[in-house]
Amino acid sequence: MKRLVIPILAGLVLGVLVHLVGVLLMPYLAERDAYARLSEVGQVNAVTLVENRRLLAEALPASDPAFVTAVCLYDLTVAPLKVRTPTTEDYTSISFYTRRGLPFYAINDRSAGRTIIELDLMNARQKAAMPEDEEVTVADRLVVESPTQKGIVVIRGLARERGAREEVQAAIASATCTPTPASE
Amino acid sequence: MRPLFFILTLVIGAVVGLGLTWFATANGNGPGVVRAGAWKAWPKAGTETADPYARAAAARAGELPLELADGLAFVAVTDDRGAPLDGRCDIRLSGTVPQARFWTLTLTDRDGNLIDNAADRHGFTSTEVVWKRDGTADVVLGPRARAGNWLPTGARDRLTLTLRLYDAPVGLASRTSDAPDMPALVTERCP
Repeated sequence: MKRLVIPILAGLVLGVLVHLVGVLLMPYLAERDAYARLSEVGQVNAVTLVENRRLLAEALPASDPAFVTAVCLYDLTVAPLKVRTPTTEDYTSISFYTRRGLPFYAINDRSAGRTIIELDLMNARQKAAMPEDEEVTVADRLVVESPTQKGIVVIRGLARERGAREEVQAAIASATCTPTPASE
Repeated sequence: MRPLFFILTLVIGAVVGLGLTWFATANGNGPGVVRAGAWKAWPKAGTETADPYARAAAARAGELPLELADGLAFVAVTDDRGAPLDGRCDIRLSGTVPQARFWTLTLTDRDGNLIDNAADRHGFTSTEVVWKRDGTADVVLGPRARAGNWLPTGARDRLTLTLRLYDAPVGLASRTSDAPDMPALVTERCP
C-alpha cells in the first residue's frame, strides 16, 4: 500500500498541472468558439444583422433576445475599419472582442453622446502612423486600438417592447463596418 | 511493478486534470464571482483583464461575455433556498432591481435556449414589466397563464434566469461596492 502513495501524489500534482495548462490553452483550442460560430453567419469587414432568434442563439449563445444584434468580423491587416451605427431611442451599443473572444472596448449611445456612433478601429501600427497634424480632429474622432489583427464587433440595439422592434431593426440594419484607406 | 506505478500516475493526472478543467469551465466563469442571493455575476469576465477561467469558459461555450462597459449579467439557476428553478412550479421573482438605465430579464433552459410558448414571451424589459406601486418588480414564472407579469416556463424542469443591467452605476460594475440587492426568487407552489 505504502508504495502507492508516491504514484498517487505524483498523479495529483500532474493533474493540477494538466488542469492549469488546459484552462490556459482552452481559448486557443476551442473549435466552436465565438469567432468560429459567427463565421458561419457573418462576413469579414461587413455588417450582418442576425434577426433569426434560433440562428442568433446558435451563433452567439447567451445573447440577449431583447436586443437586435448585428455582427461584423474584422481583419485589420490591410486597412483600419470605420464602424458606424445610428443610435435608437433606447439603448444602443457597440462592443469589440479579440479573435479569442476577449472584450476590449465597448461604447453606448449615452457615452458616445451623439445620434450616430462612429469609431475608427485600428491596430497599433496604423494608430502610430496617423499623421500628427490630425491630432486636432482626433479629438472628435473616436479611435479604438485593437490588440489583435482579427476580431469581432457586435452592434446592438434594445427593443424596449415588441412594438419598437421594427424601428430598432431598421436602425441597426443601417450600421456599417467598412475598411478605410489608411491615409485619408 | 514500476511501469504500473508510472501508468497509475499518468491516469490519475489525466483524470484529475481534465475533470477539474471540465468542472471549472462548465459551472460558471471561475473565481471572480459576485453573489447576491441566488444570483451570480462575473463582472471581471467582461473586461480586458478577465481571468483565465472566465476566458476558458467563454471560449468553450462559444459565448461573448457582456462587456462591463455595456452592462452586467446576473444568472440564477436556483431559488433563494438553493432548489433548482423548476418550470413545473410557480416561481415568484419580487423586489427591487439594482439601478440601471435599462434591464432585461430572460428565461432559458440550462443550455441557454429560449423556451417555446404560445405567448411568444421569453422575458421582460424594464419598460415592459408592470411595476408595483412601491417601485418593486413582481414577475411570476409558471406553466399556466395568469394575469400580471407572467413568464411561461413550458413546464420544463431546469431553468436559468438571466437579469442583465445596462448602463449600471460604476460602483456596482467595478466591484467597489458590495453585491447589490437583487430580487428574491421563491418557489411558491409545486404540483
